[in-house]
Amino acid sequence: MTLLNCLLLSFILFGIGVFGLLRRRHIVAMLISIELMLNAANMNFISFAYFSKGDASAGAIFSLFVIAITACEMAIALAIVIAMYRRTHSLDIDSLRGLHE
Amino acid sequence: MFPTELKDLFFYFISALTITTALATVLVKNVLQSAIFLIFSFVATAIIYLMLHAEFIAISQVMVYAGGVVIFVIFTILLTSHLGETAFSTKVPRNFIAAFLGLSFLGLAYRFLFQNHSLLSYTPSAPLDYASLKSIAFRLLSIQSNGFVIAFELIGLILFASLIAAVSIARKQKEEK
Repeated sequence: MTLLNCLLLSFILFGIGVFGLLRRRHIVAMLISIELMLNAANMNFISFAYFSKGDASAGAIFSLFVIAITACEMAIALAIVIAMYRRTHSLDIDSLRGLHE
Repeated sequence: MFPTELKDLFFYFISALTITTALATVLVKNVLQSAIFLIFSFVATAIIYLMLHAEFIAISQVMVYAGGVVIFVIFTILLTSHLGETAFSTKVPRNFIAAFLGLSFLGLAYRFLFQNHSLLSYTPSAPLDYASLKSIAFRLLSIQSNGFVIAFELIGLILFASLIAAVSIARKQKEEK
């Protein structure tokens, strides 16, 4: 388990997140893919905190901040999902096209 | 480059588990199954954090992600569940572009990770309790110049405001009933 292995794992996870975000049209599935990408970013923080000589606790604390902001983001996004479902009865991302027309 | 001790073999196993469940998350058709696979992926990530001696982060990963966020997602899916993925129109074939962009991160990994030989010289050099509850809590709430108390207060404010905003967005309007 070297730094290279951990960074490679987080790169692969981020690529999977990008793939899912572009492939799915269900808005909840796109949110799930964003979660995967944020998870990969968190893994980068922890890996560098563990392997580099700098300030290790600061890296751990930043991943806590990422987790808290993700919880906020999911709360807002899922509230928007519920409001959107109530209004249009569809969760296709294309039904949000009316926002800019 | 790829050492083979018992701990490393375990790391490879957990990594493969993480990657497999993450792939299953974005590949399965059913959104509910996708959320279930996301839980497995998060738990495997927490095991990786445990192997990096970041116990507190691992516990909060399990509590916040696997316990909170994914359960929230599953509730929302179940509230709106009679719409499957098949009901949605896909006019443009995006699978190819999505796979290309996803795989291009492997190219980035090759360019920036495998050709950077200084990455191999890093050894675990953090102190053993760098992510224990005590050191994180003292550092987070310290008012010294290296403390994070302002950011902590801001995060608390953002969490509070966004939860109120979520309730007010999702609230049922009177005339909509």
